[in-house]
Amino acid sequence: MAENSVIGASTVVSGHVRGQGSLEILGRVEGDVTLTGDVVVGASGRVRGNISASSLTVSGQVQGNLRGSEAVLLESSARVVGDIASPRIGIAPGALVRGHVQTDGELSLAQVPANKRPGTPLRVAPVAQPAPPLPLPLKAPAKAEPRRFDPPRPPVVAAAAANVAAEVEAPRPAKPEPRRPPPPVVPVISKGTKAKKKKGRD
Amino acid sequence: MAGTVIGEGLTIEGDITGDEEIVIHGNLRGRLTTRDAVTVGSTAIVGADITGSSLSVAGQVTGDVTASERVDIQAGGKLVGDIKAARFTIADGASFKGNVDMEV
Repeated sequence: MAENSVIGASTVVSGHVRGQGSLEILGRVEGDVTLTGDVVVGASGRVRGNISASSLTVSGQVQGNLRGSEAVLLESSARVVGDIASPRIGIAPGALVRGHVQTDGELSLAQVPANKRPGTPLRVAPVAQPAPPLPLPLKAPAKAEPRRFDPPRPPVVAAAAANVAAEVEAPRPAKPEPRRPPPPVVPVISKGTKAKKKKGRD
Repeated sequence: MAGTVIGEGLTIEGDITGDEEIVIHGNLRGRLTTRDAVTVGSTAIVGADITGSSLSVAGQVTGDVTASERVDIQAGGKLVGDIKAARFTIADGASFKGNVDMEV
């Protein structure tokens, strides 16, 4: 039956309210309200809990998150402390809101871009890497990569000079590598040990 | 108009307290306390202790009932639980199981 549900002005419900159909809250509800239909919190209504409905109209006080799959409307007498999320949100002048307001799409729409976002940077990264093809710096690819972005702007001469520099530098670390590596490692360890000692003493 | 109406399709898990009339067509699990009349419609399924001035049952109720005036079980109604009320009627076709105390 399409009979509307009403929680009267002198009625207190402490617990969860769920189901289908519409509900008008004129009394107090201490608990979550989850309905598929419309929910109206009247001027005398007070809700302490999250409300989820297709269309939500608030004239009273709500302490909790509001979620409307269609719309959330706050009348001028509304007082809301909590987050609001709905594709359509209306806040009348005089209404008090403290919380995060988000006019995002429905839950299903909000979840789809969230899944795509972490995927996009992964796809962009591999595409960008094969784009700059330079056959010369095969011996030292890690050090030559940052220089690839600079040479394209200057003429061929500069690019050739850069390649020469890359070639000159590439053999240098190759020969002294077994001799010189120890010195740079030492300061790194000393920094770490100092910090650890300070933390340990404190 | 009734003060509080729990429509069909609505489920409340918890306590309901009030001073006004309460009509239930949906589901209720918990406790129900009011100073006015309580009506349990034919589509209602109530698993709760009920306290009120009077109670009319056309649906299913499981729980103890305390009424300051009267309890009526309509035809088709089902009540399982103890009843404490000054007046108590069971219509033909109603089912009831429990103790009755009419010394209120």
